[in-house]
Amino acid sequence: MRHPYDTAAGTILLGLLLTGALAALARLLIA
Amino acid sequence: MDSLSIDLLLRWGHFIAGVIWVGHNYSSVIQRPNWRALNAADLIDDQSPRFQALLHREHGTFRWASVVAWSAGMLMLWRYGWLMGAITLQGTLAPIGIGMYIGTLMMANVWLVLWPHQQKVLGLKPASIAERVRCSRITHLSSRTNTMLSIPLLFFMAAGAHGGLLAG
Repeated sequence: MRHPYDTAAGTILLGLLLTGALAALARLLIA
Repeated sequence: MDSLSIDLLLRWGHFIAGVIWVGHNYSSVIQRPNWRALNAADLIDDQSPRFQALLHREHGTFRWASVVAWSAGMLMLWRYGWLMGAITLQGTLAPIGIGMYIGTLMMANVWLVLWPHQQKVLGLKPASIAERVRCSRITHLSSRTNTMLSIPLLFFMAAGAHGGLLAG
């Protein structure tokens, strides 16, 4: 089975998902 | 979408596009500072002194650039009086604090994971062919981890300056 990092799309998708999760966390910390 | 949110998204896109685009330019500059025609030996012998020197130069530049980038970021936080707030993720300093932690992780990944394995892959440290192949998988994953982490890193660098979507 291929790792998500084995494609550029998988790498970018993971990066965007992590960005969304961390942005939500940051909003909680700011509130 | 409000003006600050648009500004944040533009900055994020600008950083990512800038890194992808200009990163390739700098890669070329570091590998080939002066144009010289390749000869057959350059393409078929990865142990040639010229090739080895190029690899040392390229990887040394990237590793030390990570130290400069990290140090400059920490210095800015310290000068603004934001360092403790960023470390403890306090209030509006939480976004740049998260960026600081991601950047620290990326630098540690370069020095502690990628580089020790890359030295074997490139033949800078002696290793069997099987070991070099094994290490090449690790360096690929390590490199892609930093590519992936650069996406939220750049987002929080952009968000840290103005808050934008996050403080709205």
